[in-house]
Amino acid sequence: MTYTILGRCQRTGRVGIGIATFSITVGRYCWGVKSNVGVTVSQAFANERNNALALRLLTQGFTARAVLQQLMDNDPYAEYRQIGVIDRTGMAVAHTGPKTRGWSGHVVGENYVAFGNGLMGPEIADAIAKGFLAEPESDLEHRLLMGIEAGRDAGGQGTRERPKTERSAALRVYSTDTFADIDLRVDLHETAVDELRRVWSYFKPYEPYYRHRERNPRGAMGQEEFMKTLQAAE
Amino acid sequence: MTYSIIGRCPRTGRLGLGITTFSLAVGGRCEGLAANVGVCKTQAFPNRTNDPLGIKLMGQGYVPSRVMEMFAANDTEHDFRQIAIMDREGRIAAHTGSGTRGWSGHKIDADCVAFGNGLVGPQVLDGLIAGFTAKPDDALEYRLMRALEGGRDAGGQGDANSHRPERSAAIKVVDRLDYPDVDVRVDVHRTAVKELRRVLEEFKLYEEFYRERGRNPSKAIPQDVFVANLKKQRA
Repeated sequence: MTYTILGRCQRTGRVGIGIATFSITVGRYCWGVKSNVGVTVSQAFANERNNALALRLLTQGFTARAVLQQLMDNDPYAEYRQIGVIDRTGMAVAHTGPKTRGWSGHVVGENYVAFGNGLMGPEIADAIAKGFLAEPESDLEHRLLMGIEAGRDAGGQGTRERPKTERSAALRVYSTDTFADIDLRVDLHETAVDELRRVWSYFKPYEPYYRHRERNPRGAMGQEEFMKTLQAAE
Repeated sequence: MTYSIIGRCPRTGRLGLGITTFSLAVGGRCEGLAANVGVCKTQAFPNRTNDPLGIKLMGQGYVPSRVMEMFAANDTEHDFRQIAIMDREGRIAAHTGSGTRGWSGHKIDADCVAFGNGLVGPQVLDGLIAGFTAKPDDALEYRLMRALEGGRDAGGQGDANSHRPERSAAIKVVDRLDYPDVDVRVDVHRTAVKELRRVLEEFKLYEEFYRERGRNPSKAIPQDVFVANLKKQRA
């Protein structure tokens, strides 16, 4: 049980992941993203090794389609896996193995993969894609979060009789640096998507402050002083 | 304002990082770990290019002391950084720049470096190290967790007039694989170290289930069943 949006920003080339699931600490599985390379997530009965191989193949220049094929050929349990891959050109592909549980599937378009398993139905994947596509000019992190929230609002995980809550969630975006632009997580919570929105809202005004302080430490404003400017602005 | 510990398990060669701070989402700025290579963490006014670079340099065979020299040469603001580096053999380099704020320092002990800035005093580093060294046979993630709790209990961040809460925290441990064994985080919280302990304890209950489910999916029990079994065990 998991639902995920992988996305690439057509304007900037930034790549990222939004994910929510019943499992705890899902952010741990979300390291398959790299600046100017691409993004991948393996889920359902996740083969955790896939991400490293996929990133190396994408770095070498293989297309998303060729990488996905390599991952499947390398795995005796491919039919239990669900995998999404986007390369640096925006080519997006996905695989949903027939042995993943519950309603499972993916919606794929240029620059995005919306996919999940153990979901209420296909309307969840459709909603995630729609949420992601709603504001194509916005920042990628915002679009990814919109995708995940739309998946939650459409019903998310489980069945009508037995819905399942989101206990963990994560949001990661890479741009051009060797480290993440945005990397936020909720590891253990009763409504993790709501909490991820709260974390993002809280973090958002700090993000440029942290960035500036790191690059220009001389005379940098103290964090408590910065927080006073936030309060003053409210 | 941050206090951290990097450590190595001499039995297993596992490498790890424990960190907590007043800043938000600190776990999102901890990419400097690689299995069988080393661990590198830059904080205070961090230069975020350092940690990925440090891992690449150690991977090429450079020792931590040499990596630190290259960091200094690569950064006009090196004096504002606080950096600890450890390689897979346990060799260490540490640097606390004169431009870091509040009480700042680092302390090297067996298989670990404790380091922090904006702290109430050197007793916080002693608390980190006492926590880390208390049970040397424990799994590294528990040693790192106990270190953070030791730092917190020794007073943590702030000065004589005011205490600063820990608002985010993280533990990462790498073993032999491309991805961390343990990677738990608290991004926005009022008592982040306490919350990190809760997340870690919960994760440890699921760890083997998640690992096995990925390796042998045809035999995996549904997570519902696993969770129900956990509840029964707790009752």
